[in-house]
Amino acid sequence: MYRAAVIGLGRMGSTFDDEITRGGSIFLPYCHAPSYVASPHTELVAGADLHAEQGAIFAERWGLTGEQIYGDHREMLAAERPDFVSICTTARHRAAIIEDAIQAGVKAIWAEKPIALSLAEADAIVELSTRNGVAIAVNCSRRYSPFLSEARRMAREGELGELLQITAYAECHLSHNGSHAIDTMRYLVDGDVDWVFGEMESDEEAAGEEDLKGNGYLAFDNGVRGFIRAMPTGTAQWEFDLIGTEGRVRSLANGADTQFYRWVPGGLRDEGLPARAPFPLPLSIQGTGLTVIADLVDAMETSSEPRCSAEDGRKALEIAIALRESHRQGGRRVDLPVADRSLRILSVEIGGDAVPARVRRLQQEPAAA
Amino acid sequence: MSQNVYRAAVIGLGRMGSTFDDEIRQGGQFFMPYCHAPTYAASPHTELVAGADPHAEQGAIFAERWGLEDGQIYSDHREMLEAERPDFVSMCTTARLRAEIMIDAINAGVKAIWAEKPFTLSLAEADEVLDLCDRKGVAVAVNCSRRYNVFFTEARRMVEEGELGELLQITAYTQCNLSSNGSHAIDTMRYLVGADVEWVFGEMESDEKAAGDEDLMGNGYMVFDNGVRGFLRGTPTGAAPWEFDLIGTEGRVRSLAQGMETQYYRWVPGGPRGRSLPARAPFPLPTDIPSMGFAVIEDLIQCLDSGAAPRCSGEDGRKALEIAIALRESHRRGGRRVELPLSDRSLRILSSEIARDSVPARIRRLKGRWP
Repeated sequence: MYRAAVIGLGRMGSTFDDEITRGGSIFLPYCHAPSYVASPHTELVAGADLHAEQGAIFAERWGLTGEQIYGDHREMLAAERPDFVSICTTARHRAAIIEDAIQAGVKAIWAEKPIALSLAEADAIVELSTRNGVAIAVNCSRRYSPFLSEARRMAREGELGELLQITAYAECHLSHNGSHAIDTMRYLVDGDVDWVFGEMESDEEAAGEEDLKGNGYLAFDNGVRGFIRAMPTGTAQWEFDLIGTEGRVRSLANGADTQFYRWVPGGLRDEGLPARAPFPLPLSIQGTGLTVIADLVDAMETSSEPRCSAEDGRKALEIAIALRESHRQGGRRVDLPVADRSLRILSVEIGGDAVPARVRRLQQEPAAA
Repeated sequence: MSQNVYRAAVIGLGRMGSTFDDEIRQGGQFFMPYCHAPTYAASPHTELVAGADPHAEQGAIFAERWGLEDGQIYSDHREMLEAERPDFVSMCTTARLRAEIMIDAINAGVKAIWAEKPFTLSLAEADEVLDLCDRKGVAVAVNCSRRYNVFFTEARRMVEEGELGELLQITAYTQCNLSSNGSHAIDTMRYLVGADVEWVFGEMESDEKAAGDEDLMGNGYMVFDNGVRGFLRGTPTGAAPWEFDLIGTEGRVRSLAQGMETQYYRWVPGGPRGRSLPARAPFPLPTDIPSMGFAVIEDLIQCLDSGAAPRCSGEDGRKALEIAIALRESHRRGGRRVELPLSDRSLRILSSEIARDSVPARIRRLKGRWP
């Protein structure tokens, strides 16, 4: 049993699962505290948050005592010596807190996305975690989806033939939920991006550092080509389309449906036909958070990389930044890696983060009559 | 519509001019009659009066198949135009000669031209033909045939009447050379979106191909002047053959597998967190499914009567070519966005169908079979 602690006791750290009424893109338990409580591998021993209201709600919800809640995460790390720590604060402080956790000797980190705001921060995290042998899993949770991991298995085992194309319709800001979209493209394609072309929602947004929407063309090093539309997608809602010479997998409507097509004889001029076949269901489906924890336990015990590693988190950020650079440079292809490591995107979720979102909401709610 | 019966002639008596329909066994992409001679022979608006082809074998097969006499078959198209004075003329030769023959036909006084695609090889040729058409009032329809396919025209109607909401995206998976069948793919994108392309980014299949004039495969990103964005994959598409995906805020139409299936989705209440769901609804079937060749002829007759531009006009043919060339220019310039229109009108693509066109494909095949 590993001792687990959560830093940042807001929505993702504690109560996100309450909002989820249907499976598909995720299965419960999904977010950090409920996963630590439910996992046979972990025991939830502490939480840390600057905001006392968050701590009080967390303690009551997860059955911790007042002493297990800390206002200072460094104090918590020193006193509780957790093996696992979840980083669920605003992304503004994520890199600094990850570094504190590594220095305090934790074994595994489960970090919310995006991993960092700047490439330099992401570099420091990857370097420090490698040097200290700390396993970091970034919560780009589609890597832990049973459907998308099955799609990736099919791709790897040649069931789709040679991969050609990945298309993503995923309305999002490129750092915030774009980290999910871009990471999922990389995961399904199982390749790295050599270069990109991007168009952002406006010249003004592209010139700034605020998180932004955009579209992009991605050239992967295994020959696959990617197209992402992160500008508004209307009726095509969070969709991934993985196309190979022999098969195709489409994940539709934010994971609510997964379709599988096989290339079969027939067609207008006997050129073959795409025929829909049942998507191979996994034998069991566990909570997405439990899969992350099991992955981190495996990574710690075998010194392997987590399925969504810090390196994967850095690459998602770097691709988002390269897409913006392409626009900034007047619309031209941009090769990766990006040389200027000071580049950053102020992920949209850090807006107004001086007061946590839940505390803001609580303050706005009228007193009960 | 005018009740005249128009005199029609075909120039280039090979596959598209004469026998293409024999290859088609299933509807969807095409509805019969589709290609030129069978359409003229079957249409109540036209009478097939002549054919021209420099290759005598082609002429003999054509005459026998369509019940013409030897005197109605010419080896020189100028002689045919002079002697037969056709109202309609179809341009089914190799694309290498298309511009030149269209100019001959316009100068000979034809009323309407039904031209195979691509419209021309170079932008300058396209400019010259269009300029002459305008001056002489000749209607030119380019056979980018999806504009005459009822599933696509229904999708276009849904767009025009707002049934898909605000249009956002068009994606095409269409393995093709960008001038040859790419003229279909690009034209269909323009047709469904109902707008023009302002700029493109393109990646070609190789630097070598991009540097040359030969037809080539490639992918591209297109920015339309009504805000829609397009993605075209013309490099191999594997299990996604010839697919168009038109996405709006309220609805979506997908044409799959070479037009064999058309899907329609509506945005309906429901879904996780109440954010709504795309629900598949029956695609609205038309009350009848017209022959695509008839649709072209009726379109051209309406243009003759009203002076309007055909549904797939010479201008549309030029724009498809210009977009293909711009995609290649983007690659040539190291992966930069390229604005339209292109200033260098000498640019061209040697459409892949002109390869080895000194002997028609059917004659090459006949000779191969009976040496």
